[in-house]
Amino acid sequence: METLYQILNPDFLLRNSIYTSVLIGFACPLVGVFLVMRRLVFMGVALPQISSTGVAMALSLPMWLGFNLTEHGSHSTHALAFAGSITFTLTAILVLAFLERRGRGQPEGRLGTAYVVASALSILLLSKNPYGEIGWLDMLKGEVITISNFDLLLTAVTLVIVIAALALFHKELLLVSFDREMAVILRKKVVFWDMLLYLLIGLTVSMAVLSVGPLIAFGFLLIPALMAHLFARNMHQFTILASLIGGAVAFFGFWVAYQYDLPVGPTDVVLLGGLYAFAWIAAKILPRGLSITYKA
Amino acid sequence: MRADTQQTMDETLITLDNLSIGYNKQAVLTGMSFSISRGSFTAILGANGSGKSTLLKTVLGLLPPVAGHIDTASRGAPLVFGYVPQSVQFDAVYLLTAFEVALMGSYGRVRPGLIAPSRERAFTRECLRAAGAEEFARKRFAELSGGQKQRVLIARALTTRPDILVLDEPTAGVDRNATHSVMEFISQIRKERKITVLLVTHDFAAVRKHAEQVIWLHEGAVFYGTARELLSPERMAEMFERGID
Repeated sequence: METLYQILNPDFLLRNSIYTSVLIGFACPLVGVFLVMRRLVFMGVALPQISSTGVAMALSLPMWLGFNLTEHGSHSTHALAFAGSITFTLTAILVLAFLERRGRGQPEGRLGTAYVVASALSILLLSKNPYGEIGWLDMLKGEVITISNFDLLLTAVTLVIVIAALALFHKELLLVSFDREMAVILRKKVVFWDMLLYLLIGLTVSMAVLSVGPLIAFGFLLIPALMAHLFARNMHQFTILASLIGGAVAFFGFWVAYQYDLPVGPTDVVLLGGLYAFAWIAAKILPRGLSITYKA
Repeated sequence: MRADTQQTMDETLITLDNLSIGYNKQAVLTGMSFSISRGSFTAILGANGSGKSTLLKTVLGLLPPVAGHIDTASRGAPLVFGYVPQSVQFDAVYLLTAFEVALMGSYGRVRPGLIAPSRERAFTRECLRAAGAEEFARKRFAELSGGQKQRVLIARALTTRPDILVLDEPTAGVDRNATHSVMEFISQIRKERKITVLLVTHDFAAVRKHAEQVIWLHEGAVFYGTARELLSPERMAEMFERGID
């Protein structure tokens, strides 16, 4: 319990790390719900890895062009990394979604190849980059340690924008996901709403990868949503439960990692995996009726 | 009677002018010219792969015509379609209640960023009641039977306040009793609300009983006429070159 008091203390040295983890824990499942509903779970695996390749590429560019990145301060490094991450994530999501919609080839094969090539490329790029040693390799491994006030603020603002857009346009995003034909017949701008959803997924993934690394990003994108789907009775419960599970596990995972001196990312993901297994067994035993009846 | 037959009734809602339909610029059916009038009940008949769904999707604006022209406007305003797709196409992963599915019909009138107002929710409940789906409005859509899902989808189509109700094999995967009940309901709602109906089906018996006009797609040819004329044993025998009872 002493550790718990320590990490809840406003003067706690790693407070930014825990705030960021919890923010990512709450926000990632909100877009993860759409990945699960649109049957894009494999995309949820590949995107964080592709995003981290974008980070590695962005950090390698100045070196190739002969610039010294450390002279420009950590904010410009972070901005550059964010630009690389968002560019790669959005490009990948648009290309993969386009190929998925055409329905040709093997989607699993494409996503698996994208994942493994992105993983290898990230490591290759950063292993030859002197700045890669200044924390970025740790980030790729899921070590959430050095998060500045600026990083925390950027994460918070981005995630608030994502959550606000998801809440505001939930009706439209749900309609184009559930029944695209109906959306076209109702003269909704289907391509615009698809693009908005991909943008929100891309922003969340990029921010999560930059703040806590691809491992946690992937874990929080999908596992809370899959877990919540076992018990929820309607869309509101599904979304809220997934987000609460993500936020709670992020906090608890950080506590466990701090208590036992473990890396936060792997601790969070193992906790999520264990909880998912437990939830799956519980859902098989318990009747599907733990929830509140929806009032029409 | 071939596809170029014109029907002259009071008000034309849909006009097909030398229309060719298909996918990826490859025509499946060509040279279709006919019209559908307000208040009519038209059935599209044909075997699997004959182009029924392609025709329906072209009329709905989901597929572009390969050639020719289609006019779907009433008094200068675009038509409002109440579309009833096949219920089997929906993914059970969506945790939507029957009410939430039906409410989607009102989204064409609710601006982005706003939730459906209480008058739209009340109208949705009214449509669910009219479709006989009120009692399972709170149940999960994915957990309903085939017949119940069809009623919810019909309620959703009514919620759009449609000029024309378009149904894609509404009795596919539905048992015999429910099929009868769904067809009777469509016929009844059409009379009560004076709605135009365009129905894709395999069910000859239902077409004979309820439809006025028939568009029959058969081996690349399009036949258009009244149900009584096209579905007479003599006419059917002529088309199939054998007798069908």
